[in-house]
Amino acid sequence: MKRTTTLLLVILLVFLASGLLFAKGEQEKKVQPASIEFWTTETQSDRVSTIQALVDIFQGLNPEIKITVVPVDENDMPKQVAASSAAGNLPALAEFGSENAIDFGSSGLLDTSTATKIINSIGKSEFYAGPLKMLESTQSGVYYAMPYHGWIQGLWYRNDWFKDAGLNPPNTWESIEKAAKTFYQPSKNQYGILVGTKAEVYAEQCFTQIAISNKARLFDKNGNLVFNSPQMKEAIQYYAGLANYNPPGPQTWRARDYYIQGKMAMFFYSTYIMDDLALAEVAASSLTGKNFKELKGAQFDPQLVVHTSFAPIITHKQPSSYGVIVALGIFKQEKAANTAAAERFVKYLYGEDAYVTFLHMAPGGMNPVLKKIAASDKFMKDPKGIFEKYGKKKIEEIIAGLESIQRFGIVEGHLITAYGKIFSQQIIPQMIYKITQEKMDVDAAMNWAEGEMKKIVNK
Amino acid sequence: MTIQAKGLKAEEERFGWKLILPAIIIIASLIFYPIGYNVFLSFFDVKLRGPNTYIGITNYRDIITDLAFWHAVWTTFLYVIFTTIGTTLVGLGVALVMVKEFPLRGLVRAIILLPYIAPVISVVFAWQFFFDPVNGIFMHLTYEKFHLFDQRFNLIGSPQNAIIVAIIFNIWKNFPFSYLMILSRLQSIDATQYEAAEIDGASGWQKFWYVTLPEVYFVVGSIVILRVIWNFNKFEEVYLLTDNVKVLSVYTYFKAFTGTMDQGQGAALSVIQFLLLIGFILFYVKRVLKW
Amino acid sequence: MVVRKKNILKKTGFLLIVLLIVTFSIFPFLQMLSTSLKYQFDWGNPSLIPTKINLEAYKELLNISQTTRNIPDSIKRLLDNPKLSKAQKRAIIKKYEETGNVFPFLKYFRNSFVLSFTASFISLIIAVLGAYSFSRVNYRGRGTIQRGVLFVYMFGGILLLIPLYQMAVKLGLAGTRGGTFFSLLIIYMVQTLPVSLYMLGNYFRTIPFSIEEAALIDGCTRFETIRRIIVPLSLPALATVFIYAFMIAWNEYLFASVFLRAYKNLYTLPIGLKSLFVSKNAIWDRIMAASMLTATPVVILFLLIQKNLVSGLTSGGVKE
Repeated sequence: MKRTTTLLLVILLVFLASGLLFAKGEQEKKVQPASIEFWTTETQSDRVSTIQALVDIFQGLNPEIKITVVPVDENDMPKQVAASSAAGNLPALAEFGSENAIDFGSSGLLDTSTATKIINSIGKSEFYAGPLKMLESTQSGVYYAMPYHGWIQGLWYRNDWFKDAGLNPPNTWESIEKAAKTFYQPSKNQYGILVGTKAEVYAEQCFTQIAISNKARLFDKNGNLVFNSPQMKEAIQYYAGLANYNPPGPQTWRARDYYIQGKMAMFFYSTYIMDDLALAEVAASSLTGKNFKELKGAQFDPQLVVHTSFAPIITHKQPSSYGVIVALGIFKQEKAANTAAAERFVKYLYGEDAYVTFLHMAPGGMNPVLKKIAASDKFMKDPKGIFEKYGKKKIEEIIAGLESIQRFGIVEGHLITAYGKIFSQQIIPQMIYKITQEKMDVDAAMNWAEGEMKKIVNK
Repeated sequence: MTIQAKGLKAEEERFGWKLILPAIIIIASLIFYPIGYNVFLSFFDVKLRGPNTYIGITNYRDIITDLAFWHAVWTTFLYVIFTTIGTTLVGLGVALVMVKEFPLRGLVRAIILLPYIAPVISVVFAWQFFFDPVNGIFMHLTYEKFHLFDQRFNLIGSPQNAIIVAIIFNIWKNFPFSYLMILSRLQSIDATQYEAAEIDGASGWQKFWYVTLPEVYFVVGSIVILRVIWNFNKFEEVYLLTDNVKVLSVYTYFKAFTGTMDQGQGAALSVIQFLLLIGFILFYVKRVLKW
Repeated sequence: MVVRKKNILKKTGFLLIVLLIVTFSIFPFLQMLSTSLKYQFDWGNPSLIPTKINLEAYKELLNISQTTRNIPDSIKRLLDNPKLSKAQKRAIIKKYEETGNVFPFLKYFRNSFVLSFTASFISLIIAVLGAYSFSRVNYRGRGTIQRGVLFVYMFGGILLLIPLYQMAVKLGLAGTRGGTFFSLLIIYMVQTLPVSLYMLGNYFRTIPFSIEEAALIDGCTRFETIRRIIVPLSLPALATVFIYAFMIAWNEYLFASVFLRAYKNLYTLPIGLKSLFVSKNAIWDRIMAASMLTATPVVILFLLIQKNLVSGLTSGGVKE
C-alpha cells in the first residue's frame, strides 16, 4: 500500500516537473524544427506565388520551420482531407470554407484547442463577431477554426439610372421588382436584372438570399427537411418573376458582361466583381470621348465604378445576406512541433503586412475579419488601386455585410451535412431551370426537388 | 510444291504476323477487351472504391424505364438525321462548285477544310458568341437588321431549340469531309461523258441528273453510312457547344462522370447505344440501300 | 453581246457563291480573332473590326512583358526586416517576379505537345511494321485483320471511356500522375493507330516491289529492307501520317477530361481551355485568344501536309 502511494507520488512529481519544463520551454519561445504542409484553396498560379512569397519570408525568419504550399481545389478539399486522414498524414494547416470547417471539426479532425488559443491571443473582440460565430463549435467559446477572409454577395446596381428614374435602392422585394420592371426594355437591348436561371451554383447563390429573406429554409435545426413550405413557394414564385426581366434564355454569372456594357440595371454578384469593374473602366478610359459616340451597341460608362452601388442585404420578412467565410484550420498532429510551427505561421499570417498581402490577391473578394485591418490605410492601398476607386465607405459597408451571412446548410449554428450533397447535385438550380426555362409548374417542380432531396436525406 | 517453297511460305507467314502483332496486341487489349469488359460491367453496380456487386439486368431496367433516356434517344435520332443530310448536301454543293476552275482555287480548297481540322474546343466559343442573345451577330442580323423576329431570344440556351445550333455546328464542322470525298469522285469523271451529253442537247440540270449523280451515287451512299456512325457517336461537338442538347453520348457522360458517377448504368447505356447503332445500320442497309 | 453579258453575270454569280462558301467556312475563325482583339465594352459591337486593338490577352497568355510583377508595398515592408539576409531577399523577390500567369498557356501547350508527339511517334513505328505486313506479306487472315482495324472506328469514344477508365482505376494507374499520363499516352496511341496503319498500307502499295527485290538479292533481310528502302522512300507519307495522328491527339478532349481531372499540372490545352471558360477568369477576349492559340499549331501543320493529307483522307483513312 505504502509502495503504491510512493510510486504515485513519484509519477505525479515527474509529471509536474515535465509540465513545468514544457511551460518554461514555451516561455523562451524556442522553435522546434518542423516541416509542415499548408493546403490552400487559392489554386490560381498568381495567388500561389504570392502565398509562396509569404512562406519564403516566414522561412527566412524562422529557419527551423519548413512549409510546403499545396494548392487544392475547393471542391476536392473534403475528398483529399478524407484520403489523407485515412492515411494518417493530415496537413498541419489548411485554408477552407466555413462549411468544410464545421464538417471536419465535427468529425474530430481539427485541433480546436490550438485554434481557440490563437483566437484568444489575438483577442476575440478584435474579430468581427459574425464570422467568428460561424466557426464556433457546439461548445460555446471553442472554435473549430480561425476565420481569415470572406466575401459577400448582393445586388450591384446603376445608381445613376435609379436616381434618374426616382427609384429606391434594390434592398426589398418590392424595390427590386419595381426597378427590374422599369429597366427591362428588351426592344432597346436593355435588361432589368440578372438572376441565375441556368442549372449552376450561381442560381443557388442568388436564390438562397431571396429565400432566406422570406424565412424559407431547407432544414430545421434538427436536420428535418422542411423544403416544401409556403414561404419557399412564395420565394420561388418571386424569383421566377424576377427571371422574366433577365436577358433572354438561361443565364448565369457570365451575363455580368452586359452590365459592364451598360445593358443591364443590376445583377447579383459577389464582391469579387470589384476588381473586374475597375479594370474594365481602366481599359475603357484609354478611349477618347469621341470614339464612344461612334461605338455601336456599346454604351460603356467611363465612370462605371462611381455609378455602381452595392445592396448587400435584402429584406422581406427578415434581412438576409449571403456569403462565404474562409477559415484557417489546424488539423490534429502527432508531433507537437508541427502544431507549434503551424501556430507560429498562423500568427504571422494575421500580422498586418502578411495579412494585407494575402487579401490584396483579390481586392474586394477577400475581406478581412479583423477590425483593425479593415480600418487600416495599408489595407485600403491595394497595388491595383481598386479600393481607392470605390472609396473607404463602400469597402466598410461590404465588410459590415460579413456580419450577417446566412446559409441553407447552417441552421442556428447546426451544420446540416445532407445539405452538402443537395448543393453538389445542384437540385435547387435544376428546379429553377425547370421552372424558368422549361416552364414547369411551380408545384410540380417543387415536388420533383423535394423527391430528389428526400432520396439524399433518407440514404 | 517443293518442301523448300512450303518452308518459305510458312516463314513469310510468321514474318507477317510478327510485324502486325504489336498493333494487334494494342488494339485487342485497348479496344476489344474494353468493349467486352464494358458489357461485363453493365451487369454490376460499379463502385469507385471497393468491389462491384452483381445486380443482373437492373441497370438496363433502370435505363429503359427512365423517360430522360427515351428523350435522349429521340434527340439523337433528330441530330443524326439532320446532320447527316446537311453535311452530305452541303458537301455535294460545295464539291460541285470546287470542281470548276476559278482563280485561287488551290487556296480556297485548303481554306474550306479548316473547320474540319480545327480542335472542337477552339471553335465552340466563337459559335456560342454568335448566338449570344444580347451581343451576338445572329440576333443582330435577324432581329435588328432584318426584323425577322419580334424579340431577341437565346437560341443556344433554349432547351427545345438548342439542337438547331448543334446541328448547324455539326454541318459546318463536317461538311468538308463529304465535300472532299465527293470532289475526288467528281474529278475522276470522264469529261467526254459531259461532252456527249452536251451534243445531245442536255441542260445543266440534266447533265447533273444523268451524268454526275449516277457517278457520285455510291460515294454518297458510303458517306451517309459513315456520317451516321460518326454523328451517332458524337460527343465533343455537342457537349462542348451547349449543355442542353442531351444526345445519348452526352447523357451517358453525365450519368457516368458527374454527380453520383453511376458507371454501371453508364456502361449499360453505351451497350444500348451500340446496339441501337447496329440496328440502325442494318435497317439502312436493308431498306435504303436494298443490298 | 447578250451572250457575253450573260456570261459575265454567270461568272460573277459563281464567284459570289465561292465567296459565300469561304465566308461560311472561316467566319467563326474571324469572329474568334476579332473578339480576341477587342476590349470588353466593345464586345456588343457587331463589326468584326475592333474599335481599339487590345493585345493584352495575347500578352498575358504568352507571358510577354509580364515578367516583372510589381512587388506590393506590403511585401516590401515584410522584407524590410534585419533578420533577413540580402541574398535571401533577392531570392524571394526573384521568385515572386518570375511566376504568376492567370492561364499557364505555355505549360498546357507543353503538356499537349509532349503527349501528342510521343503518342503519334510510337503509333507511327508500330504502324510502319503493321502496314508493311498488310501490303507486302502474304498470309491467311490478313484481309480480316485489315478490315477489322478500321472497324474500330465504329466504337465511339464514349463506349470505350468507361471500361478504359475502370481498367486504369483497377490497375492503380488513375491514382498517380505518372500512371495517368501513361494511360492517356497509350489511349492516344491506340486511337491513332488504325488510321496510321490504313494510310501507310495504301502508300506502301504504291512502292514498286522491284526496288525491294534488288535489296533482298543484295543480302538484306526483310526487316532491313523496311528500314533501308521503305522508310526512306515514304518519308513524305510518314510525315503526313505522323502529323495527322498528332492532330488527332492534339484535338482530343473526352479522354483527357476524365483522366486528367485531378491533375491540373498535366492539363492539355483543350482541358485547360475548358477549365478557363468555366472559371471566373473567363473573359471573352482571353478565351478567344486562347482558342486562336490552340487552333494555330493545328492549322499550320495542316497547311504543311495539306496535299498529301487530302489524298490520304480520300482513300479512306479518316478518324472522327
